[in-house]
Amino acid sequence: MSRISVDGRPVALITAAEAPLLARPYFAGGDPGPIVAALAQVPEMLEVAAPFLAVVLGPSAIDMRTKEVVILRTSARASCRYCVEAHTIVALDSGLSTTEVHALRGELDTRGAFPAEEDRAVIAWCDAVVGTGSVDAACRDRLRQGRPDHVVVELTLLATTTLLLNRFCTSLELPTSSEVLARLAAAGMAS
Amino acid sequence: MSTAIAEAVRHGRLPGRVWLYSNYHCNLVCTYCLTDSSPKSPRRDLAADRMVDLAAQARDLGFTDLGVTGGEPFLRPDMVDVLLAMAEQLPTVVLSNATLFYGDRLTRVEALAGHPVVIQVSLDYADADDNDARRGDDNHATVVAAISRLVERGIRVRIGTTLDPEVKASDDQQARLCALHRSLGVADEDHVVRPIVRRGRADVADLGVQATVADLPPELTVTADGAWWSPFGPTIRDGVPETDLLITRTTHPLVTPATALLRLINGRPPGDDARLGIR
Repeated sequence: MSRISVDGRPVALITAAEAPLLARPYFAGGDPGPIVAALAQVPEMLEVAAPFLAVVLGPSAIDMRTKEVVILRTSARASCRYCVEAHTIVALDSGLSTTEVHALRGELDTRGAFPAEEDRAVIAWCDAVVGTGSVDAACRDRLRQGRPDHVVVELTLLATTTLLLNRFCTSLELPTSSEVLARLAAAGMAS
Repeated sequence: MSTAIAEAVRHGRLPGRVWLYSNYHCNLVCTYCLTDSSPKSPRRDLAADRMVDLAAQARDLGFTDLGVTGGEPFLRPDMVDVLLAMAEQLPTVVLSNATLFYGDRLTRVEALAGHPVVIQVSLDYADADDNDARRGDDNHATVVAAISRLVERGIRVRIGTTLDPEVKASDDQQARLCALHRSLGVADEDHVVRPIVRRGRADVADLGVQATVADLPPELTVTADGAWWSPFGPTIRDGVPETDLLITRTTHPLVTPATALLRLINGRPPGDDARLGIR
């Protein structure tokens, strides 16, 4: 059985051949990506974290376009290279325009790219959540306009879970896949 | 959950023994060592109080036996005290190369007599040359002398024989090994024969049988690095414990890996680990 060398990375990413018993289902469909490959170092954490992340980040009562607005904006504000690169592609695949993606990444003014107050309130909420200390009540009130509590809660959970992942991926310097890098280059959005 | 584990043990779905790796360093450098142990190996010690606590938890969960392995456990000065404390919880077998049982260490080991502690000693061949080629110079003579000393002192000894399936001992050699252990006072039921498992140094040296999770009895095994499916799991490769048979990193409380192991074995057909006879 071969071990992938750490290659100077902070932690070794577990391969399919090295997958612990509880982690094996996550490798059955091929490369599960670096977040799962890192979490597989602690399989009892993986088997709780992976389903949680799948529920929070996956299809839910909130449309995927809005969810990608939250994920990409939060990741950009948290300066997470891995998440910004990965979710630039997911955001484009979810129907966001190139202009919108550039704006969420902080490369264009969001007011021009997102004329709808509905989107702008979500973006402002993400910016507030990423900060430290108390969260701006005005931003919260703006988000709550026309939204039921369960949507406010879910959007907040999505932003804070994204923050968790941002710090995890940044701290462990997780590598972006070659497929994502190729698509970013093709879209003219490489970092 | 302890009821479920006790039930699984009682019905034979889960082996009753919990193994603890006391340490990974060893005074020998055997050719087929799973754990790549040597005098220079990182120790990866399990603390004495943790070992005793795990023993108590194992009993409370419904396990029936304990095992201690390494490395060479008796390189630890506290090993006899640890074994005595563990044996107050459950009967305990400790694996040893038996090359240290003389002088002060032998005097300390005498304290195990009369307690439910068995020392399983590694001895692979009747012929010293064959044995020592794998286990080191003078190993055969040293071990045979040590077995006699242990038996004389009333300590129960088992003999563990590990054979390369590619270079099987002749029937004559095996018969002579059995005659030897009988002459030393070790009964046939205390002689265990198993193949070299191709992991750790054995894999690097191209020795032994490939064993998958399906070939290995699910014996909960705790090391300083986590909990594994089997004592054949926490092998060392390139200085790092291999993870393919890892269950959890959490070992305390023991119910965490025990519960996970139980989930893994549920639905597993009984007896499907018997193909290679790895025990």
